[in-house]
Amino acid sequence: MRGLGFLGRVAAFSGMMMAAAVPAHAQAIKLWTLNFANDSANQAFQSIIKQFETANPGMTVQVETRGVDEHKAALRVAAGSDQGPDIFFSWAGLGLGGEFVKSGLALPMDKYYAQYKWDDEFLPAADIFSKQYAGGRYGVPYSFHGEALYYNKALFAKAGITSEPKTYADLLADADKLAAAGIPAITFGGTVNWHVMRLLDEILETQCGAEKHDALMTMQASWASEPCATKSFTEFHNWSSKYFLKPFMGIGQDQSFNLFLAGRAGMMLEGDWLVGQLKQNNKLADYGLFLFPTGGSRLYGFSEYNYISSKSKNPDVAAKFLDFLASKDVQQAHLGDFGSISINKNVKYTSTEPLDQEWVKIFNEVNGTFVNGDQAFPLDVTTEYWRIINEVASDNLDPSKAAAELQKFIGNRK
Amino acid sequence: MQLSRRLQSPPFQGAMLLAPALIVYGVFALYPLIDVFGLSFMKWNGLTPTRTFVGLDNYVQVFNNDPVFWGALRNTILWTIMSVAFPPLIGFGLALGLNQNIPGRAPLRALYYMPVIIAPIAVATMWRWMYDPFFGLFNQMLAGVGLQSVIKDWLGDRNVALFSVFIAYVWQTVGFSMVLFLAGLQSVSQTLVEASRIDGAGRFGVFRYVTLPALKPTITIVVILSLINSLKAFEIVYGMTGGGPAQSTQMLAMWAYTEAMQLGDFGRGSAISVVLLLITLAVVIPYLRWSLRRQDANQ
Repeated sequence: MRGLGFLGRVAAFSGMMMAAAVPAHAQAIKLWTLNFANDSANQAFQSIIKQFETANPGMTVQVETRGVDEHKAALRVAAGSDQGPDIFFSWAGLGLGGEFVKSGLALPMDKYYAQYKWDDEFLPAADIFSKQYAGGRYGVPYSFHGEALYYNKALFAKAGITSEPKTYADLLADADKLAAAGIPAITFGGTVNWHVMRLLDEILETQCGAEKHDALMTMQASWASEPCATKSFTEFHNWSSKYFLKPFMGIGQDQSFNLFLAGRAGMMLEGDWLVGQLKQNNKLADYGLFLFPTGGSRLYGFSEYNYISSKSKNPDVAAKFLDFLASKDVQQAHLGDFGSISINKNVKYTSTEPLDQEWVKIFNEVNGTFVNGDQAFPLDVTTEYWRIINEVASDNLDPSKAAAELQKFIGNRK
Repeated sequence: MQLSRRLQSPPFQGAMLLAPALIVYGVFALYPLIDVFGLSFMKWNGLTPTRTFVGLDNYVQVFNNDPVFWGALRNTILWTIMSVAFPPLIGFGLALGLNQNIPGRAPLRALYYMPVIIAPIAVATMWRWMYDPFFGLFNQMLAGVGLQSVIKDWLGDRNVALFSVFIAYVWQTVGFSMVLFLAGLQSVSQTLVEASRIDGAGRFGVFRYVTLPALKPTITIVVILSLINSLKAFEIVYGMTGGGPAQSTQMLAMWAYTEAMQLGDFGRGSAISVVLLLITLAVVIPYLRWSLRRQDANQ
């Protein structure tokens, strides 16, 4: 009896300890995100999590970071289990992020948008992607990015270029001047397919205009019968054969950036996050930027989101963390770490760096956006889009046949 | 007593010893195999709980409308032929050399075997850097000896990329064949070797009529393992080119993974896996049967 009594007391004590432990455990959330190329973003993330945990005793955020492809694969594996994240990073839009929403793996967040009054906080251009689903609002903006042409001021001067190009014809003329001076006009890394893709995306906007470009990317218009699509591939091939720093197919975007830093090419088509990378390398003063002169007023850019998993056992804690991450104070304190622009519209921009100011001006004047091809297309079409772009860039496919080849793939989809 | 006797019986003990391995095999090999076969007739994105039966549609799509599949199949066949020819041949040569009584034999054996124990993804990273078109070892060396005309974008030029990756694969796997051949060489009867020498056989004669026949079981094992490993080549290609440029180094195993895990089409990825499995069986089983029959006939 005494033994049983002792065991009973042990059991009761264990039960009490477990009961006491449960609330602490229940406040723990897992966040899966990317290992960002811009390391200041990774460091800022860690710092914000510590601040959140200090401000909310008992709540913990466990972060797992991965490369882009590994992250996508991990999310897919986790979809079938309850051991996945409470919050996961994905891109905004119907492509990559939309797949998870459509499959019921993201939690509708209307309740939290109302509770935290997020519409009063978020930039409308970034916020808009949460509203494109029929069943409610999904995800919250994590970042909003624009992409532009960065240029090496010294190389432009060496080539005799005295002002930034205003039209596509000006840009081609400048590329010719750079080529004549023996300077490759632009650098890309071909191993990551999305890098070279950016140039074709911009050329499509230039050659087709906003409406037709959107119709092509949503596959409402036929690539085979739109002359601007074929013209775009031809223009793209003109760039890859005459103006690219070569070789480019065997290097990645990171190495392309190193070559750009080393003054091996005149321009690089990159996002606003490059400002942070240039800052890290103490090279801000050596570079300028201008928007790719598409002839339209839309900004080439995209938004990245954090979504709450529909399987999260702690969606309220997850929403609280996302609110903390997006709050004006946190965003103000980490301005520039995630990109030149914050997703919080109440943040004040005080940077005196010309490139930061340039981006703030661009974002203030933005009149619509068009997203990267890999976020507009479904995944299988993106893969084929990349293959065709790479084939054209490496002279293995006649550019006049490229648009028709893409349309053939789209037409055969089931 | 009866129970104790039954517990001690050899069949029962054999079954008990085999059971854990059988369970592990069933759960981690047999079940996934059956599931993949079933999935190849379904449409499933890996995210939703529902799988829709589509019959042979995935196979029809793979064979007719997949612009990458046939290239990946061609690469897999070429890779397999090269893998069965080169690493075993080089491994055999190394084994013959390192079977001689030469100074530093043991450290040399360890040196040649070392790449086998390195993770393929680490090998890929290392070789990717050596192949770097701007700062890589190979192009720097070629430039250093004045061979600028030979400099290439080793992993970015579709005409050479697959072969560049294959060289890294040979470097990594040759030690494996070498060790198997070394083991085989050491089991060659010295009595037979000496007898043949007494009978007047030269070095080549001993090799041709004694060593080589004695190595037949080893050769069979090396060829089969090389075949199987080459057909499922994945990590090193994934790590070095990711299938690029423009899918020109894509392999069936990696394309199956890409379709399923990256593009979210598990049905099509499974169909490609089944095709790969059938090719593997079609190649390995006849060879195995032929080898076993020859061994039986020789005995």
